[in-house]
Amino acid sequence: MSVPGEKTNGSVLATQDLSVWAGDKQILKSVTLEAPDRTLLAVIGPSGCGKTTFLRSLNRMVELSHGLRVDGTVRYLGQDIYDARVDPVLVRRRIGMVFQRPTVFPMSIYENVAFGLRLDRKPEDEVEKSVVGALQRAGLWDEVKDDLDRPALSLSGGQQQRLCIARALAVSPRVLLLDEPTSSLDPAATQKIEGTLQELREEMTIVLVTHNVAQAGRVSDRTAYFYQGRLVEVGPTADLFENPKDPLTEEYLTGRFG
Amino acid sequence: MLRRLARWAGSIPALLPLGFLAAIVLTLVFATGLENFGLSFFGTDWNPSTGDPSKAVFGIMTFVVGTLITSVFALVFALGLSLALALSIVFYLPPRMSQVLAPFVDLLAGIPSVVYGIWGFWIVAPVFGETINPTIVRYLGWIPGLQGPVIASGVGIPLAILILTLMIVPVTTTLIRDSLRAVPQALDESGLALGATRWEVIRRVDIPYAKRGMWSAVLLGFGRAVGETVAVFMVIGDATKLPASLLDVSYTMPGALVGQLDSAFIQPNYLHALAELAIVLFLITFVVNFAGRRFVSRIVVRPTGALSVRGAGP
Amino acid sequence: MNATEDSLVGTSARFRRRRRVDRWLGRLLPFTFLLVILPLLDMVYWIATRALPTFSWATLTTNPSGTSGGLYGPIVGSAEILAISTTIAAAIGIAGGIYTAEFASERMAATVRFTTNLLAGVPSIVVGYFGYFALVLYFGWGASLIAGSVTLSIFILPYVFRSADLAFASVPKDLREASLGMGSTRVQYIRRVAFPVALPQVLNGVFLAMAIGLGETAPLLYTAFWNNFPPTGLNQPVGYLTGLIWNYYDEPLSFGTEVTMAFQAAFILMVVVIVLNLAIRIIGGIYARRLRGLYH
Repeated sequence: MSVPGEKTNGSVLATQDLSVWAGDKQILKSVTLEAPDRTLLAVIGPSGCGKTTFLRSLNRMVELSHGLRVDGTVRYLGQDIYDARVDPVLVRRRIGMVFQRPTVFPMSIYENVAFGLRLDRKPEDEVEKSVVGALQRAGLWDEVKDDLDRPALSLSGGQQQRLCIARALAVSPRVLLLDEPTSSLDPAATQKIEGTLQELREEMTIVLVTHNVAQAGRVSDRTAYFYQGRLVEVGPTADLFENPKDPLTEEYLTGRFG
Repeated sequence: MLRRLARWAGSIPALLPLGFLAAIVLTLVFATGLENFGLSFFGTDWNPSTGDPSKAVFGIMTFVVGTLITSVFALVFALGLSLALALSIVFYLPPRMSQVLAPFVDLLAGIPSVVYGIWGFWIVAPVFGETINPTIVRYLGWIPGLQGPVIASGVGIPLAILILTLMIVPVTTTLIRDSLRAVPQALDESGLALGATRWEVIRRVDIPYAKRGMWSAVLLGFGRAVGETVAVFMVIGDATKLPASLLDVSYTMPGALVGQLDSAFIQPNYLHALAELAIVLFLITFVVNFAGRRFVSRIVVRPTGALSVRGAGP
Repeated sequence: MNATEDSLVGTSARFRRRRRVDRWLGRLLPFTFLLVILPLLDMVYWIATRALPTFSWATLTTNPSGTSGGLYGPIVGSAEILAISTTIAAAIGIAGGIYTAEFASERMAATVRFTTNLLAGVPSIVVGYFGYFALVLYFGWGASLIAGSVTLSIFILPYVFRSADLAFASVPKDLREASLGMGSTRVQYIRRVAFPVALPQVLNGVFLAMAIGLGETAPLLYTAFWNNFPPTGLNQPVGYLTGLIWNYYDEPLSFGTEVTMAFQAAFILMVVVIVLNLAIRIIGGIYARRLRGLYH
């Protein structure tokens, strides 16, 4: 573990008073939250609660939307990712992201996964090793190993989403952010992705935004509940689900289950 | 019964564009008098011989060459410029700046052809004659095709290429810009989320995704350049001979059509030859536009929410 | 895991190169707008410089007289040609656009759109040849106001057509379903619901067609021919501004009055086209806002 890593007491990613403004409107209100190493943190809450904005501010994707302003700090291994000297390109290298809908590029399966590696002009044997490794970790290898040269667009929706996970893993990020990755998939495809996530959480930091409370219960170590741009409560998933401390959390969870 | 009749009558205006296309073809074919100029029609010798029409020779190749040279060069320049403009508008400029600057490109499309012509002929041509063309000859004269001669008035192929470029830039820019805008935002963001720079995402994701739209810009831009008539006529010198170099004067197909019809009024074989030239021009633009319109891209969203480009995969 | 790999400040040579390429492209590409704006400014400046010193009220009110005079005849001619050709194109184009968007089967709509686009791609001089051979010669109309206007209307038809089609096709589907669901007929729906929504975009197409029609030369040269005076009837030849430029631009005396008249005509055309373009932009803005309101 590197020196900056120790400073954060095992937190790979930590926010401090993180706020996001759209003009006069505050859509994220002073969120302080930690994502420890080798855990999967689920972020739940009703739509419009700011969970996606929160996620997008963790790798500076939020800057791509015009008119949004970020306040507070996000520390990756102790370094403030919004520091003036920090390059957002490198932030996104270390903190990968998977989107709501599969976003495969119009190229072959192999080239999709190799995309990030090609940017560094890595030697071909290294690229190949990483591609195979990433496809295996994403649980897609067995299904595509014989036709890596096929256009990625020919895969099914669920396979495309796992390809997107493999593509993000190929550049070996420390953190993986997922924004409702199964919202457009059928139950079988969802199950496969949840299986993949359960394995990945043993080896890296994952933040998963989901509107599916049951999914958070199945795959996460810790869960954070957001409401109206505010972090209401965070804790080990089992504790939060069984004994929510805040009435708002309880209301949301019972509403969902009951 | 009455309703069916009304419906049938209602469809007539919608079918008129097709009707006009057919009418144009039929009229032009009829206007040729079905006169056959044989192989010499595709030769380089064009001599209407107005004094003795029986000695006339009608070879359209000089016009074809003039049209192709100016159109191809203008297309290459316009595509380069359009790509830069479209990338600036879609990716690099803040939205407010884009909103201010983009209308200038559209305005370029609104300027009448004769206005380009008179500006080119009086204002820009001297600059070519006195400065640009001599400079090209001095420094690049060793390249075959650029060795001169310099036309003192400045009219000729280089000036025609400049004017044509300006005239087709709005067409190609709009097509390229729209094809880049059609790239799903999530796809674009995915590239950035992998730690690629803005330019790397443009080059490796956005442009490949927009490829079909780019091809439509190539073809439709070319079609526009080939058909441009009046402005090119006014600035290219209109000499019925093969150009000695890329700096020489030349003549284009639409130019010959617009410049010579009045001399042909009373000479049937001359009139027939021009009608045949018009058919050749029509066919070229028709084929190019037909292909170009096919390329205007269509992206399909699958029920799963996954994207696919039509024609890819099962 | 080591410190350099976790560092968020890029130091490797390869990374700095990647960043440099990106940064410079972002800075330099927008300057290509100068290649568009400078020629436009140059054009406006020089045409104004050559046209304005001799521009007077008489320029607008007297007829050309061979090698001098004003532009009254061609101005009236241009206006009449434009009025007739726009009326024809608008009647066909709007009717055709409504039919394509509202009544045609998907397959027929696709075919109609495709052929309309192909018609838009026909070079102006080819349309002019059609007008000359078919209308002037075979129909025996002679070179006249009506022959020129009909020829021009064919050339500008696709612009009205596409705009009208697009305008009606973009009316939100639920608006249509709600209206038809309440028992109104299709015609009532088009007249009371769709037309008000689509109107600005339809008008835009009409203005665009006018801007293009006003600037065209090739379809008119052999169909409208020329006249120093305003036409006295539909079957009379007619002068028009683009034709004046075409006839006079290369008269031998470079600063002679003919060339100056050509520049004056060019100046008027340019001003009107810029005004029409502004109108299109403003109406387009209104339309976009209205449509956005309906979709939310």
